[in-house]
Amino acid sequence: MTSSTRPTRRRSWARLRTAQLAVGLTALATVAACGSDDPGGSDKTTDVTITVALNSEPPPQASLDAFERETGITVKWVNIDWDSLQTKISAAATANTYFADATDVDWSRVGQLGRLGWFYPMDDYLDTDAMAADMPQLASFTSDGHVVGIPYDASFMVTTINSDLYKKAGADANPATMQAYTDGLKKIKDAGVVKYPLNIPFAAAEGLSTYWYEATEAFGGTILDESGAPQFTSPDSAGYRAAQWMIDAMTSGLVPPGNINVADSQGQQTLMAKGQVASTFSDYSGTVGSLYNIPESSTVVDQVTYLATPGTDGPAANLSNPDGIGIPKQAKYPDAAAKFIEWFTDAKQQVDFAGVNGPEKALPAYAMPSHLSAVEEMTAKGDLVGGEVLAAMLKTSKPVFEGGAPAWYPKFSNAVYTNLHAAATGEMSVADAIAAIADTADQLANES
Amino acid sequence: MSQVPLMESSEADLAATPAAGDGLRRPARRLVGRRGESWVPYVLVAPVALFILLLAIGPALFTVVEAFFRVNALDPPTRFDGLGNFRRLLDDPAVRTSISNTAIYVVVGTLGSTLLGIAAAVVLQRPFRGRSLVIAVLILPWALPGVVEGILWTGIFDPNAGLVNGLAQTTHLGSGDAVLLGQDRIQTIALIELVQVWQIMPLSALLVLAGLQIIPGELYEAAQIDGCGSWGAFRRITLPLIRPAVAVAMVQAVIATLNVFDQPYVLNGASRTASSVMMQTYFVSFQDLDFGEGYALSLLVTVVTLLVSLAVVAGIYRKVEL
Repeated sequence: MTSSTRPTRRRSWARLRTAQLAVGLTALATVAACGSDDPGGSDKTTDVTITVALNSEPPPQASLDAFERETGITVKWVNIDWDSLQTKISAAATANTYFADATDVDWSRVGQLGRLGWFYPMDDYLDTDAMAADMPQLASFTSDGHVVGIPYDASFMVTTINSDLYKKAGADANPATMQAYTDGLKKIKDAGVVKYPLNIPFAAAEGLSTYWYEATEAFGGTILDESGAPQFTSPDSAGYRAAQWMIDAMTSGLVPPGNINVADSQGQQTLMAKGQVASTFSDYSGTVGSLYNIPESSTVVDQVTYLATPGTDGPAANLSNPDGIGIPKQAKYPDAAAKFIEWFTDAKQQVDFAGVNGPEKALPAYAMPSHLSAVEEMTAKGDLVGGEVLAAMLKTSKPVFEGGAPAWYPKFSNAVYTNLHAAATGEMSVADAIAAIADTADQLANES
Repeated sequence: MSQVPLMESSEADLAATPAAGDGLRRPARRLVGRRGESWVPYVLVAPVALFILLLAIGPALFTVVEAFFRVNALDPPTRFDGLGNFRRLLDDPAVRTSISNTAIYVVVGTLGSTLLGIAAAVVLQRPFRGRSLVIAVLILPWALPGVVEGILWTGIFDPNAGLVNGLAQTTHLGSGDAVLLGQDRIQTIALIELVQVWQIMPLSALLVLAGLQIIPGELYEAAQIDGCGSWGAFRRITLPLIRPAVAVAMVQAVIATLNVFDQPYVLNGASRTASSVMMQTYFVSFQDLDFGEGYALSLLVTVVTLLVSLAVVAGIYRKVEL
């Protein structure tokens, strides 16, 4: 070693020590950012500001101000799209960092969230037993006997038909069975009223999974039993027949060929609302009032009606797919958040949100109340399009999975929509698609 | 060109500065170490270095380590798993499909954006009326978020009410109900990549344009005198001299295409027909909550990005001295 190289070597060591220090600090910062294991949270319920993160426009400022005057709780509202919201919920819970005091609990993630313990049980804060009678979809938010979130609006799968197109073709506009429903669609096609009468969103997305679940219900069966075992592997099973019916509808020309890449909302907006198709078997509750009867976005105003969903021998039940609101464990003010949720999901408040008491109290794009009493009040006042049919459906609506959505539901749903999509494109047969979905379910159930 | 590191400056350097009077020298001395090293560069660089350490290098190191651990929110606790995450990923048909899809994205996207970028740069190099406006318009797709572009092109490719089918029907060139995406794998990937090329090509064009600007006009004049035609000049002068710029453009295209997410997700959903590795990373991490596999897949993408980029630099880059 020459003398001239020594300073360089010393600097190298100095740099190394600096680098080590930096890595240490980084690790320290990472640990600090991850927070402690104890979620904590203040029980203060006055003079606090809570953050509410939902995929929704905020309620009118006057309503929030009234809530603040009444409780001393200021609400900071954050509107985030659904996908980003789910990612944020997972990231914040995993890193154990604060994200919001109240946020979305989707029905499909109830099992996962319940098992992970990322949300406080709402039954610790609210009398959920008393709420259940007037809130039929509360069952979709129960995991291991605990309520993970409270539904803030009602959403379930319904069948919609364009009665004008049915009338033009001379088809039965009130089919009670799947056979009669399918015959009606064929009649519309044969009459040339529309080229493709049925909308099935075959894009590989969640909307395709829920469509299949509702069709399975219509064929008189379920997807999974309470232990998570698949109930659709036999060709005689409802799930298999539902899948076959959907693919047959595509191959026989009842569904537009382009629908292999059409998502649920896209099909509602570009096909059903434009009169290009005559029916959507598994539509969403509230679309008639919020989309099909809006002249700015629809050419079929007053033509689309709800139909009691056809079944094997008569009307089938309607499956729930509501969004709820819950309190993440990292909430700063869980008690204040619970007070907000109680107010936000109250029947009287929901009637206001639905616009019954004037547009100034309405929550933009609010579908329909989760309280049966609120739906009945709206129906009585004539403020809910198809209210009587919807109220009856809401009463008998049931969760997609009787035992609650399994913790591994997102992965299962991914298998459902990717394989059914592949069957629709002709990439695989219905038998292979069903086998692949069943394999995924078996594997996930065994691993859990 | 010799480079003198800032940290090598010493008191002697400061003293040698002609304008360095006593009043100016005093504050500098307070930032000079015992061995005569100036702390000024460190102080100036520290905020950025800290920022990079905390937000890039820290998480990167964390990812490298965690890729070898089983980190699954639904299967606690976190435990060492060796190559388990990598094995499970490579056994997953969805991941394998996404890898081959991504390979096609990289080849199509890198070649497409580079060739179009060179073509656009050559056109833009010559002065013409409205050139600045064309450059401003050209750069717009690059400035748009991928999701916005995906939504925009959804309207163009929509099988039932899209622009392409509408035009085909109006001009009697097609039935108007062609299924453009989702049916044929190669066609779907090619059309999705067309959207991404539309996004990344402007940057390639600007990088190559910058490379073209430094080529002296005398070289072309000399070539012309020697009887060289336009194509010959382009092949023998332009292309060799813009190789550094092309290499940079290709590397940015490789990085963008290897990390493609928005366009396939928005245009083709979660379908395996055109799913990318980054989509699988998202599904594995945030849908299945298997963060260990997510870290492993991210690490694989990083390593492949590095290797492909190095290969591009080794194959394309040549030092140019003018």
